[in-house]
Amino acid sequence: MNWTRAGYSALILIFFFIVQETAISKINFPISGFSLYLCVVLGLMALEDRFGAIALGFIGGLILDFSPSSDSPFGKWALILTVVGYLFSRNRESIGDFTERPVAFVLFVTAGATITLIIFLVTGFVLGENNGAVIVNLQTIFGNGLWTLLFSSVLLPGLIKLRDLTLSSRERI
Amino acid sequence: MAAGGNNRSRLLLVILLVTSLFLITLDLRGVSIIKNSRTATQSFLAPIQRGVSDLFSPVGNFFSDIKNFGKTKDELKDLKKENAKLREKVILNKDTLGELKKLKGVLDLAGRGSYKVVSGRVIGKGSASTFSQTITIDAGSNDGVKKDMTVIGEFGLVGVVKSATSTSSIVLLMNDPTFRIGVRIARSQSIGVLIGEGDSSYTLQLLDPSGSIEKDDVLLSLGSDNNKPFVPGVPVGYVKSVKNTSSTLTQEATVSSYSNLTSLGVVSVIISSANGGPKDALIPRPMPTPTTTIYVTQPPAVETATANTKAPKAKN
Repeated sequence: MNWTRAGYSALILIFFFIVQETAISKINFPISGFSLYLCVVLGLMALEDRFGAIALGFIGGLILDFSPSSDSPFGKWALILTVVGYLFSRNRESIGDFTERPVAFVLFVTAGATITLIIFLVTGFVLGENNGAVIVNLQTIFGNGLWTLLFSSVLLPGLIKLRDLTLSSRERI
Repeated sequence: MAAGGNNRSRLLLVILLVTSLFLITLDLRGVSIIKNSRTATQSFLAPIQRGVSDLFSPVGNFFSDIKNFGKTKDELKDLKKENAKLREKVILNKDTLGELKKLKGVLDLAGRGSYKVVSGRVIGKGSASTFSQTITIDAGSNDGVKKDMTVIGEFGLVGVVKSATSTSSIVLLMNDPTFRIGVRIARSQSIGVLIGEGDSSYTLQLLDPSGSIEKDDVLLSLGSDNNKPFVPGVPVGYVKSVKNTSSTLTQEATVSSYSNLTSLGVVSVIISSANGGPKDALIPRPMPTPTTTIYVTQPPAVETATANTKAPKAKN
């Protein structure tokens, strides 16, 4: 991942961050809310190599740290998504190219979103944050996982095309 | 080559992890640049949220409307009749009417409590991935809203102002797990602490072990020094059930709030309160039972006379 593509990816993420914060958050999803932003970050990370996934995870996390509704310390999301980016890239290498295996892609992103939220809770616990009742947290994680599973199958093909636009002609080859 | 790539990735991983931990440390130490970054983001997002709010208000409850479709099927017939009547009337914006109704309720409560308030429309909600319960309103420091001010809805407490920009504010809702408020039981005057649970129920912990607590007891806010963050006398909720736990030193109860935090349209921020607060003036009163008044009118004299002649003389 070069600087230009990192910039383009950051712009894409900022766009989805604004959509998440201004529009998606206003929809009362049954069970629990859906994080479009997390789905997009994880989707883009899954398409990158190890270096790209780690870098994208950090950029994505840093943007999410700007969320005004967040009570967590600034940098927590950057830390978590960097770790998730590394874990993603490690496992992704054994699965192969996701663009040819859409079902695996969707399942991978859904599992990633669930694991990310679990890591977020565990990190919060370590930092001494109060995240509320366990049942409510489980409900949030389950709800987000369910909606990610449903929406990612629709979103991810578009995301692949969007990412292709950021690739240079050399990277496409 | 692959080993070189791996080393490069590992180096990047370490650098980014250290950077993240550095940022977390700065934030926890209260460095102002980090703290102000979220306020700046809020200032940037507020106008967009305000614009999107109008667009998304009918979509926001789309899923709950689908869920209730089966229940409302029976009402469809009646609604069609009603709809025909409504077509003849002036078409008014339902959303605006709903907000007006809520605003009326909020202002009524504020008026009874002699609170000076600033009302604001809810333009955003906290993201699902943050695990915090917040809303964004379109009133900010330009309107007199400051951090740590009490926020009320049409039926009672909603939350507290977490941060304010010039045109918008973020309100920490009372169901947030980090939310704590001192409360007073209106009946027994016992005091306790109400804790948010992240959902629609709350836990009340009495401070006095010998204090009295019963089902349906009304809870009012105890108030804070200089009315910050909480003004006294605001209805908070009512006791749903008392927990009988012999293992704890203090009595605990499950509480329901008066405000429905899932359907907030308009809320008011209490700018100032009368000295001493409203005492018990805001305790929700039970709904009055409807009474039937029967008016007896005397029949005309001629008919009475006729009736008297036709009536059988049973007693004679």
